Amino acid sequence: MSTTNGKVLNRYHVIFLAQSIMVGTGILSLPQKLSSMGYAQTFMPLLFGLLATLTAFAMVWLCSKFPNDDLFRMNEKLLGKWVGRLINFLIIIQFIVFSAGIISNYMHLIQSTALQEQTITLPVLCFLLLLIYIVSGGIKSIARFSVMTFFITIWIIYFTRWAIEKGDPSHFFPLFNFTSKEFFEAIKQGYFSILGYELILFYFPFIIDQKKAFRHSLIGIWISIFLCFITTAISVMYYSEWQLKRVEFSVLNLFKAGEFTFIERIDIIGITLWVFLILSSVTAYVWCAKRGVDTLFTKKKKQNYPLYVITIIIFVIIRMPFSREFQEKLFLASNYVGYLIVIWPVFLIIIYTLRKKQVQV
Amino acid sequence: MRKKRLCIISFFVLVLLVGCSRKELKVPLEDVGMVDSMAFDYIDENQMKLTVAIPQYSPEAKKNTQIFSITTDLVSSGIVEIEKQSDKKIVFNQLRVVLVNEDFARKGDIRKIIQHLYRNAEVGNKVLIAVVKDNAEAILKADYPDKPSINFYLNNLLEPSINTAFNPNTNIHDFMYTITNPVFDTVLPFIEKRGEKLEVNGVAVFKGNRMHELIKPEEALVIQALSGRKNLAPLHLDLNAGHGEEKLMIDLIESTVKKVSNKNIESPKLTIFLKIKGTLSEYKGERESQLITTESISELEKDVNKQLEKNIGEFLERLNNMEVDPAGLSEEFRMYYYGEWTTEKTRDLIRKLDIKLHVETSIISTGTLK
Repeated sequence: MSTTNGKVLNRYHVIFLAQSIMVGTGILSLPQKLSSMGYAQTFMPLLFGLLATLTAFAMVWLCSKFPNDDLFRMNEKLLGKWVGRLINFLIIIQFIVFSAGIISNYMHLIQSTALQEQTITLPVLCFLLLLIYIVSGGIKSIARFSVMTFFITIWIIYFTRWAIEKGDPSHFFPLFNFTSKEFFEAIKQGYFSILGYELILFYFPFIIDQKKAFRHSLIGIWISIFLCFITTAISVMYYSEWQLKRVEFSVLNLFKAGEFTFIERIDIIGITLWVFLILSSVTAYVWCAKRGVDTLFTKKKKQNYPLYVITIIIFVIIRMPFSREFQEKLFLASNYVGYLIVIWPVFLIIIYTLRKKQVQV
Repeated sequence: MRKKRLCIISFFVLVLLVGCSRKELKVPLEDVGMVDSMAFDYIDENQMKLTVAIPQYSPEAKKNTQIFSITTDLVSSGIVEIEKQSDKKIVFNQLRVVLVNEDFARKGDIRKIIQHLYRNAEVGNKVLIAVVKDNAEAILKADYPDKPSINFYLNNLLEPSINTAFNPNTNIHDFMYTITNPVFDTVLPFIEKRGEKLEVNGVAVFKGNRMHELIKPEEALVIQALSGRKNLAPLHLDLNAGHGEEKLMIDLIESTVKKVSNKNIESPKLTIFLKIKGTLSEYKGERESQLITTESISELEKDVNKQLEKNIGEFLERLNNMEVDPAGLSEEFRMYYYGEWTTEKTRDLIRKLDIKLHVETSIISTGTLK
């Protein structure tokens, strides 16, 4: 908490924090995650957007009842000291594993496409150093970084031009051609791609204009949803159903459709730029984890060492000597726990209404 | 003070630790052999002959292309074998052309090898695929004295150009897209070697994963027109409509196609509206002196329409009897079908398909001479 004691986030920060945290590695493999629905997946991101709007409303409503507390303190206040602390501890672990999952996913991508002859230890180290640098600047530096990320990366949409030219819009039809089983499978696999907006539970106390926070984060959320929608729509136009299912990072293959005479692998540009998106979402998660550690052990506040510990844990998780299978399972589990955190505020709201009198702030 | 000490210590640690680093394993650029063309020849079910062509940049070498040939069962183990013969490390970043001989396309598993390349992230999307008559290895190994090298020649030959617009220019994505999409049957350009020249003289139509039929360029042009390509190759027509034998050539400027289906897969009916615009570039026949008024030209247009409708209709009839759908006509029915669409449905539908054709030609000009 070196520089961020007061309220520091203006409306642009709120918009782009919500937006940039959501676009992590998720969007890269979104069409593949939704592929159980085949061509009918096009409009799924819009449905996700509705779900996100509803859950974000619950979050902001809860936060507005505790304008100066983040979720860690709310847990303690609402659930009692010990249960609250236990939950907080689990949340911290969740965030650490989740960040490790995002980084590991990205490094796996780099390994399989860009740097095939190298181990990923060095890239991971460089990445984590940058991460420490940004996080130690506090939430404001993360927010500024998010704004920058958006404008640095948004233009790569241009590279999907050739895929649109080649694609066949008739793939959108027939609309709603799926069974309920395929639909739930797609929600289960795909919703994780748009996780990230739930972090408003943690940076809400730092927002200057808290009354409009909901509107601002909604703008951010729908920018991301729109990007996801573009991604799935173009993928559906460009691929066959078989390809949707099998091509792991379909967005990168969309870039490959590019036809410049002077550059062969546009996807490499895409991957390397993607590091900004990964950084902006991971830094936010790590910052939240660090806040959590600060609230759990409140003795010495102004120190940075929890951050270093967290970073080391992340490094160990990514490079841990466990099998790839165990890692995959761990990250998958943390994705599902991510869903829990999205629903958690609803649970807290119920408790809040029940114990309203006891917990007046 | 502490910081100063830290700096000094880390400086020494860095300097001393350099000795522990391993030797750089990366291959320098001049030792990388970038494969430009690959060729696959069928031997039997398990074996194939793999040939790769790598440009040779060294001025001391007599030939400007290195060719390696090996008999193998897997693509990657073949590459490992080739690396044993080669002085360079084989990479696929610059792969441009994959040739497959006709036997392989008819009997072998071409999908498997292309899928192998598609999986490889090194391989770009510009890889063009073609089927070759007889022997693909011989095409790479032959001499083309008036061409810079086989790699450039093949690549330029297969790339889109207006006079070979019947050529589907199938690249690696198109191939995977059409072969995995139940509403399409893959088409690949067909190359034949004639003396010192190569010639794209047809298009190979696939049925499922195997090559099924070789069709002529004029017919392949129809496939391109029906699948919505805007710029087409010049159209050559023989007319016989009450004015004796007539021959004409139309340079196509633009073509648009609209397909309307009756959405019924039990008794499928498809109406195709094809509009083509073009210039009459050459004419030989009875009406030559009359073709100066707009009336006579519009009459000619009508004859052309009739002739085209007949030609295209016969060709589509033939495709329907073969149960192949290279133009993706069944997509017009899949768009309205709820449930999973399968290849069997396409075959079934194409067999029953009843096609009505409306061709509308407009000849915009006949040149500047009256």
